[in-house]
Amino acid sequence: MDCSQFKSDLSAFREGTQPAEMHDLCEQHLSSCRACSRLVSEFDKVDMLIEQVKAAEPNPFAATRILQRLENEVDTPQKRYPVVWVRVLRPAAIAVALLCGILIGSYTAKNDAAPLNQVINTTGNIDFLRSNLFISEFADEDKILVINN
Amino acid sequence: MTDQELIEGILRRDRKAFQYLVNNYQKQVIKTACYFVGNMEDAEDLSQEIFLDIIHSMDSFKKSSSLSTWIYRITVNKSLNMVKRHKRRGMMLRIESLFKTPDGRETGMTPEPHVSPADFEHKEKCELLQAAIGRLPENQRIAFVLNKFDDQTYKQIAEIMKIGLPAVESLIHRAKANMQKHLIIHFSEYQKK
Ligand SMILES: [Zn+2]
Repeated sequence: MDCSQFKSDLSAFREGTQPAEMHDLCEQHLSSCRACSRLVSEFDKVDMLIEQVKAAEPNPFAATRILQRLENEVDTPQKRYPVVWVRVLRPAAIAVALLCGILIGSYTAKNDAAPLNQVINTTGNIDFLRSNLFISEFADEDKILVINN
Repeated sequence: MTDQELIEGILRRDRKAFQYLVNNYQKQVIKTACYFVGNMEDAEDLSQEIFLDIIHSMDSFKKSSSLSTWIYRITVNKSLNMVKRHKRRGMMLRIESLFKTPDGRETGMTPEPHVSPADFEHKEKCELLQAAIGRLPENQRIAFVLNKFDDQTYKQIAEIMKIGLPAVESLIHRAKANMQKHLIIHFSEYQKK
């Protein structure tokens, strides 16, 4: 047996899955070849390393940290807004709310002496309020959808 | 608590179910993640995302596999995604932090001024192992890591990867051959030096 034959049979040799005759030939080669002996010992070291990796244990506080994160994000879910909400709908909602404020302000200024209930009962204002409410309802739905995903 | 009770508890957002889930699966999740991402710190951070994912997607859990198998599947997917993200950003995974030197000290990333030849050899082996595993095609890597590091049987790996037994056997056989080829080339070059 030469070195290349030994190398091609190395895996079976180390796992002990060769026929007995073949195993003996490998043993014979090993006893006379320093290079292949070193190769086997390097592979043994790699195996030892894998055993060390397997023995590594997680930090004992890892479980506490995971639970803390679950309690923070599942019980009181952190709202993760979608990009479309952050970039488009939120500024639009703010703009509409501001517009409502300005219009209500200018309307009440015109009806300076009118009592408050009269102002709120005005159809136009209710529409503004509704449109504002629609936006916040839509926004809530949007958030819930994202969380459920 | 049976798997069924645990699943129902999680769907109700019951804290006791969360506790049971974490206590029973955190070691499995963190260790498996660690074998893929290469270090315990990242694996522990990632495990939080994995448990959040388990809870949020519990309602889509089809009981065609066991809960443990499903959790393995999520862990492997999330871990591989993290590895890909790191690769895209050109970040190095720190596999050495996993290992201790033969005398029990942890090997650091930065070389100490008094690094012994044994420490150096150990660090070199860590990098070599990481490189050899990292070079495996993804499916071979999954099957190899689950088998060699996680001690999963071929049947369990077949369930986790949703493939047949012969496919698992073939993946592991090829992974071992590739690993061996890579290591032999390295050790042969090392011997020439
Ligand atoms: Zn030889």
